[in-house]
Amino acid sequence: MERFKVLVVDDEDDFRETIVKRLKGRNLDATGVASGEEALKTMAQENFDVVVLDVRMPGMDGIEALKEMKKRWPLTEVIMLTGHASVESGIQGMQLGAFDYVMKPVPLDELLDKMRQAYERKKIQEGKF
Amino acid sequence: MPSTRPSGSERWWLPWLAPTLTLAAGLIFWGAGEQFLAGAAVGLSALGFYGVHSLRARLAQAEAARQLMDERLLTTQKLAAIGELAAGISHEINNPLAIIRQEAEWLEELLKGARFQDQAQLLEFRESLQEIILAVERAREVTGKVLELARERQPVIQKLDLNRLLEDMARLVEHEARKKNIVIERRFALDLPPVESDGPLLRQAVLNLLTNAYQAIEDRGTITLTSSWAGPDHVKIAIRDTGVGIPPEMLDKIFLPFFTTKPPGTGTGLGLAITQTIIHRLGGTLSVASQPKHGTTFTIVLPLSWEPQEQRA
Repeated sequence: MERFKVLVVDDEDDFRETIVKRLKGRNLDATGVASGEEALKTMAQENFDVVVLDVRMPGMDGIEALKEMKKRWPLTEVIMLTGHASVESGIQGMQLGAFDYVMKPVPLDELLDKMRQAYERKKIQEGKF
Repeated sequence: MPSTRPSGSERWWLPWLAPTLTLAAGLIFWGAGEQFLAGAAVGLSALGFYGVHSLRARLAQAEAARQLMDERLLTTQKLAAIGELAAGISHEINNPLAIIRQEAEWLEELLKGARFQDQAQLLEFRESLQEIILAVERAREVTGKVLELARERQPVIQKLDLNRLLEDMARLVEHEARKKNIVIERRFALDLPPVESDGPLLRQAVLNLLTNAYQAIEDRGTITLTSSWAGPDHVKIAIRDTGVGIPPEMLDKIFLPFFTTKPPGTGTGLGLAITQTIIHRLGGTLSVASQPKHGTTFTIVLPLSWEPQEQRA
């Protein structure tokens, strides 16, 4: 699998820093930011293939950020991360075009698998346009 | 007078045919005075009457069948037209909604610097603004769903692990289900090959059905999530609940947009319509079976390999 660019958006520093480190260890080009606002700023400067986005964050929440991301970068695939299962936000997220919904804690291999699928989907869609 | 009549009344003379024939035959044979012939004539006209009668019955049958087809066609066309209209309206409504929200938020900002003699009045002001914003959100949810229903999203096809997908969605609902003492039972066929489908769309459909299932159960019950083969090149997903069930007279209406049994304000009546649209787009079918007080089963049948459907005009 080729290297692709991943943005991890989560306000929990420990979680974010560790996951970015581990993704880099799996040969992914991973970056971490702590908020939705920061994510949008970073995405305006660099292209990302896949975003892993926490649902519950102070300030702009995951759903708001997802809305904005899909509006501005419709081809970038977004995987929603959630600490607790919320059906409501799950349905909202899927309707807004999230690629998948993953509950924390998630085994890295499982998350990686979803990221690869998300990246594959992005490439299929890019091929269409 | 034009000689052509509207097609509906072409057979206006039918009811009169038999009695007229009988009368005419009677008059002719009464004149001839032949008892035997008269009897035969009466028999003949009775036979004629019977023939006309069965003809009428068959015509009525054909007419009913035609009406049913017309109605179905009309329903499809009506739905498409309503969908288009609703999408257009939704789009137009979204703009003022955005303005209302924006202005309400701006008022909230202004309120921070405002002075009130009475603290209670300030609180009331704030609450009122919150209500406005909440109502805007509710309206946006409806318009968003209507637009989604009308949107022709082409599926992006990937090979999916169906059981994995079902498991993920089950987990998402499980937490909330447990609060109502609902158990989610999995019955997955372990020999299913990867399915060519659109992951996000299928997840949305399954999640919608799972949500319906747990909403149908008031307290304590089971949702059974099944995956299985459906013939050599199809798979089946069944979502069964032990909930309130759907009365038979409502079964054919539940997929209609805006049909809901939930109290006003809690359901948009679009969930099942959207789910059905998604499944059709994936080349599959969605069906329902229900027994009031015992529960409902929704069944999705999907092709293992996906082929692009003809573009709809």
